Amino acid sequence: MDIKITEELNNTLKDNGFKEEEIKEIIANAESSGQKLKARDGDISIAKGGAENLTVYAVYSPSELLDVYTHKMSILGLTGGELNEIDYDDASEWACAKCGEIALERNVDMTYMGVTRPGPGLVCPKCNEYYVSDGVAKTLKTAEAILEEKRA
Amino acid sequence: MPAKDYAPIDENWLENAGSLWTTPWVDKPSERVIVDPIILSHAASLFRKNAGYFYQNPDEAIRMVCHACELYDVTPVGHYLYADYWGQDYGAEIKIQTNSPPGITKRPIKTAEDVDNFEVMDSDELAKGPTLTTHYKALDTCKEEFPNMFAPITQLGGTMEVATNWAAIEDVFMWMITEPEVVDKLCQKAGDHMVSACKATAERYGANVMITGSVIASGDLMDTEQIKRFSFQPVSRAVRKVLNAGAGPGIYYHLCGNHTDDFQMWKNAPMSPFTIVQIGYDGQNIFPTSKLVEHFGDRCTCFGTVDTKLIDRGTPAQVYEQAKEQVIAGKDSPRGFILGTACECPTNAPPVNVHALVKAAKDHGKYEKF
Ligand SMILES: [Zn+2]
Repeated sequence: MDIKITEELNNTLKDNGFKEEEIKEIIANAESSGQKLKARDGDISIAKGGAENLTVYAVYSPSELLDVYTHKMSILGLTGGELNEIDYDDASEWACAKCGEIALERNVDMTYMGVTRPGPGLVCPKCNEYYVSDGVAKTLKTAEAILEEKRA
Repeated sequence: MPAKDYAPIDENWLENAGSLWTTPWVDKPSERVIVDPIILSHAASLFRKNAGYFYQNPDEAIRMVCHACELYDVTPVGHYLYADYWGQDYGAEIKIQTNSPPGITKRPIKTAEDVDNFEVMDSDELAKGPTLTTHYKALDTCKEEFPNMFAPITQLGGTMEVATNWAAIEDVFMWMITEPEVVDKLCQKAGDHMVSACKATAERYGANVMITGSVIASGDLMDTEQIKRFSFQPVSRAVRKVLNAGAGPGIYYHLCGNHTDDFQMWKNAPMSPFTIVQIGYDGQNIFPTSKLVEHFGDRCTCFGTVDTKLIDRGTPAQVYEQAKEQVIAGKDSPRGFILGTACECPTNAPPVNVHALVKAAKDHGKYEKF
C-alpha cells in the first residue's frame, strides 16, 4: 500500500513530533493484521498504534493519509466491566475490519496520571478492541490538560 | 452593585475551596467533601435583591453568586442560568418575574407543521442570540473578575426541556399520545440545538461543561418508555455528538424529579472523564446516595443530594440529619463525590439551612479513602 502524505499534513506531523515512517508503520501493521476501523459507507480507515502513554491514530484512504490524532489517556476496557444491553442506538459509522462487526459507541475506562474515568470510545464487541474518534481525541486533550494541571 | 462595592474574596479560602473542589474530579487528596448547593438567585436574597433583579443583571448576578460561595464555604464556581433557556432565540417571549426565574410566555412552535419547519441555529447564530448573549455576559464577568471561579458552563436541559421551551408542554404531551413521531422530530431538533450551543461555548472559551439530563422527563410526568424515547435516547445522541465534535469535556447529568424506574438506563449515557450524575428523587423520597453510589460510583463522579423542600422549609436540624446520612454514604465513592441539593437552592431559603448542609459535610464528610 502506497500512502501519499501531503506536504501540509507532513508539516503538521513534524510539528507534533511524528516521523513519516512511524505513521506508515502504524498503517502497514493495521493493513497486515486487519486490526483497524473501516468506514461503513466508504473506504476510509482508522489505524491505531503507539505506546501505553500515547495512542496514535492514522486516518487514511487507500491512496492518502488524511489525518493523525492522539491521546495520552490509556484505555483500560469497558466502563462497568461488560458489554450490557443498552437502550439507545450505539452503532457508529465504523466497522471492525477484522471481524466485520459494527463498532459500538460505548463508554470505556481511561486512565491518566493515576486517575481513571469514563470516556466515549468506539468498541469492537467481538475483538474487544477500543478506539476513539478524532473529535473525542480533541475533548480528551482538554481533559488531559486539566489532569496535568490539577495532578501536578 | 458594581465590583468595587464588594469586599475582596479571601484568597486563602479560595485556594482551599479550589482544592476541595478538585478532589472529586481528579482524585487529588484533600480533607473533606465539598458542597454545591446550586446557588443562583438565592445569592440575590443575601443582598436583599430579588430573582428579577438577579436575572436582569447577569454581571451582578455572578458577583453575588461568587460572594455567596465564599460566605457559605461551598464550591467556588460562578453559576448563572435558568430553566427557560433557548426559547427567545427562536422567537419566544420571555417574562422577567420578581420572585422567580424568567419564564417563557409565548412559544414559537404551535402546530405539528411548525415542528417540521423549525430550523435549528448553528453555533455562530446562537452565540449572537439573546440567551447566550446574556449567559456569556455573566460568564465573561466571572472570567474577568473571578478567574479562579470560572467554568464554561452551558445550560441545556435535556431534549424534553428544550422542546417544551419551544412548544407548550400541554401540546408536547398531547402529541406524545396522538402523534409521537412529531415529538421524535422535536426532540431530535432539540438535540441538534444542544450540539450547536455546546459548540458555541467551546469555541468561545476553549472548553465546555454541559448541564443536561432529564427534568420534565421524570417518572412524575412520563412513563419509562416515554423517558427512554424522548429523553434518554435523544439526549444520549446529542451528548455523543458534542463529544465527537470536541466540545466537552464536562457533562453534568441533572436528573431532577423522580427517577425510580428509569435511572438505570442513564448508567450507559455517554460519559467523558469529567462526568457527574445527580438524581433527585426515588419515588417521593430523596434519592438515597447509597443507591446512587452503588449504581454510578464505579462509573463517574456522584452528586448526592438533600431535599430542596427541606432546604426551603425544613429546620436546620432536618437538613443536617439528611445531609449527614447522604455524605456518609457518598464521601468515599470511588470516582468522587459532591454533596448538594436536589435542585437549585430556593431563592428565599433560610441561610441557616444552607449553613447546616455545609456543616454536615464538614462534620461527617472527611475522606477515609486517601
Ligand atoms: Zn472485531
